[in-house]
Amino acid sequence: MNGGLKIMTLSEAVISVTELTRRFGATTALASVSLSLPRGAVYGLVGANGAGKTTLIKHILGLLRAESGSVRVFGLDPVADPVAVLSRIGYLSEENDLPGWMRVDELIRYSRAFYSAWDDGYAEELLQAFALDPAAKVRTLSKGQKARLGLLVALAHRPELLVLDEPSSGLDPIVRRDILGAVIRTIAHEGRTVLFSSHLLEEVEQVADHVTLISHGAIVLSAPLEAIRESHGGASLSEVFVAHVGTAAPGPDA
Amino acid sequence: MRSPAAAIAWEFRQRHHWGLIALAGYLLVLAVIRPGIFEAVPRVNFDDSWSFAFVVVVPLTVTFLYFVAVFSFGLAGDLAARQSIYPARMFTLPVTNAALAGWPMLYGSGAMVLLWLATRLLAVWPSGIVVPSVWPALLAAALLAWTQALTWMPYPLPGLRVIVAVLGLATMDAVVLLAIQFRAPESMMVAILAPQVPLAYLVARAAVARARRGDVPDWRGRLARRRRIADGPPARRDRFPSPARAQAWFEWRQLGRSLPGWVAILLPFELALLFVTGGFPELVFLILLGVLLTPVFMATFGAATVRRSNPHGSDSHGVPPFIAARPLTTAALVAAKLKATLWSTLAAWLLVVVAIPLGLMISGTAPVVVERARRLSEAIGTPRVAVIVLLLFAGLIASTWKQLVQSLYIGLTGREWLIKGSVFGTLALLFLIGPIAQWIIEHREVQGGLWDALPSMLALLVGVKMAAAAWIVTRLYHTHLLSDRALVTGAVWWCVSVLTLYGLFAWFFSSPFFPRYVLMLIAILAVPLARLSAAPLALAWNRHR
Repeated sequence: MNGGLKIMTLSEAVISVTELTRRFGATTALASVSLSLPRGAVYGLVGANGAGKTTLIKHILGLLRAESGSVRVFGLDPVADPVAVLSRIGYLSEENDLPGWMRVDELIRYSRAFYSAWDDGYAEELLQAFALDPAAKVRTLSKGQKARLGLLVALAHRPELLVLDEPSSGLDPIVRRDILGAVIRTIAHEGRTVLFSSHLLEEVEQVADHVTLISHGAIVLSAPLEAIRESHGGASLSEVFVAHVGTAAPGPDA
Repeated sequence: MRSPAAAIAWEFRQRHHWGLIALAGYLLVLAVIRPGIFEAVPRVNFDDSWSFAFVVVVPLTVTFLYFVAVFSFGLAGDLAARQSIYPARMFTLPVTNAALAGWPMLYGSGAMVLLWLATRLLAVWPSGIVVPSVWPALLAAALLAWTQALTWMPYPLPGLRVIVAVLGLATMDAVVLLAIQFRAPESMMVAILAPQVPLAYLVARAAVARARRGDVPDWRGRLARRRRIADGPPARRDRFPSPARAQAWFEWRQLGRSLPGWVAILLPFELALLFVTGGFPELVFLILLGVLLTPVFMATFGAATVRRSNPHGSDSHGVPPFIAARPLTTAALVAAKLKATLWSTLAAWLLVVVAIPLGLMISGTAPVVVERARRLSEAIGTPRVAVIVLLLFAGLIASTWKQLVQSLYIGLTGREWLIKGSVFGTLALLFLIGPIAQWIIEHREVQGGLWDALPSMLALLVGVKMAAAAWIVTRLYHTHLLSDRALVTGAVWWCVSVLTLYGLFAWFFSSPFFPRYVLMLIAILAVPLARLSAAPLALAWNRHR
């Protein structure tokens, strides 16, 4: 467990995935996926539902163990060294499974115990900005409020890596705007990295510097957004998606 | 699916098909061992109450409770919430409130009636017992129907559902017990019980209608001031000193309060029986024994919740991402569970320790206990009595905690097949243990052989336990789930516990009938090691799938 002491340079990859393959029974969820994300940018992971985005993110968080291939985050194995990796990550789950029995202030108090870099002032600022009632039970919050609360918990320790798994799915435009705002605020801090999975291509287009397109468990395209546009004759991301996947990306309510 | 009724029935069947298969298996075994059905099978004697209890009463009770949980949707709902536990997803189905309330009640009542009739027909009842045919089936159906009605109702306060349901069902039980006490004829029992299901249906239909339109009364505002006081002093809102403490608080709030809660609900009913002992010391001590065993008994049910990785989730076996992504080691997550269960045990026993003297004093039965204690003190000396009482409580507290944590290594794996297989195996063992014990009791030569073989059997069990522990410790060492220091500290604590227990055994059972090495083997087997050590491995297997 001494990997946490490893010093990482700015040029070193924040996430390094090599030849990662994952099967669930007869289904191949990830097929020899290799990916390297350098520090300090916003990475959009796009793909249709069931393409393998969440499976890849779960490997990055160590929630799934690499069956073959390897996953390194900050140069560490997230399964072997979960504390060193997870303490530097802010994660908003697609399932947003915050404990319903907690009050908002209890969740904040509980969460800050895990992060030495927790910023009380920033948490309070986000609480006000998201108009969350500290005395409210989590189970009584609307879906949008839960997403905002999850975002608060993911952001308040100013993580080096922010991982958002389909954060906008099923949410209204105002909450989606808050989430994009959070991404922009995060990258305003030098050296921080965002991995943003979504099937909402116009959102990814708004904030991502780099886009990775995943389809049927395989990466079909991974390049800076500008380079993708140039190589596709200035086409939008939706058009690029259709060109590579063969179908249109699902809409906001999918 | 041709109709809503068929769809609802299909859902019950599909979700619980393993339970139904297990029930069918049980009934088949009952049929096989019943004389007269399969002549080739040797006759099993059920006149012994233990055999009868294990083969008929325990499985019947377990199945009854299982049906109650299934047909009231209690397995998926939050009993403590104000909202109805009736699944909200079903409120959008294009069916009437009558259908939503009626079909599950009808299926549940039908299942209860069939369960009773099958048991009555297939079980071998002890000679001399007149087994009633109708009213037990009606009682089971009525208890289920009222459970459904009372749990589907929205309530104005969290936790009120549990209190109302327990009081309502206990009242019905009391009425039936009184009727039995006064030897009421079956016709009267039927007259009392038959209207219960229709009445419960009317209440359930109103409950479903209310829940469906989102009409959940809220009295929390009235209690806001009290709640602010109950939330405790400002110190509670300070930072947690460490992630481990925060996680232990999380586990306590999520799981820890259920055991003390259940004990607090049961104790008044048990201690109330002290008022009707009629001054018989045996009855007083029997009630006290029941009270003392309550936390241990309830812990067996509490363990089912503690061992689940995700007690409130629909996928109750996998670790929820919220917990799996905590920057905490797997061992620390398990340690938090162990701490919370320890607090839970101590809280439950604090209630018992406070309630027993209060119950004895208020009921006027304290002199009975004081007199017996005085006589015992004269016989063996006050210090020895004090030590025995302390050891009794220490043993019961340790047993309660052991009940809560000993199956963690199964539940934390998150593998449904393993968890359900373990439950099935335990029930099968429970089913077999009565007849085996009876067989042993009836054959003196078997008892002699077992007594002679006892050291060898104990040594074999110790060998299995130590081999399992060695494998687990090796895995823990290689996977770095526990630090070297934690492994060594754990080993030292285990050795100290075993030696302490051995010392106590040697002090108590100083007799040539119990060689010292046998006592040592028993001490080794009694102190948890392998199963507890396996919990971090199980959780790691679940957390990093």
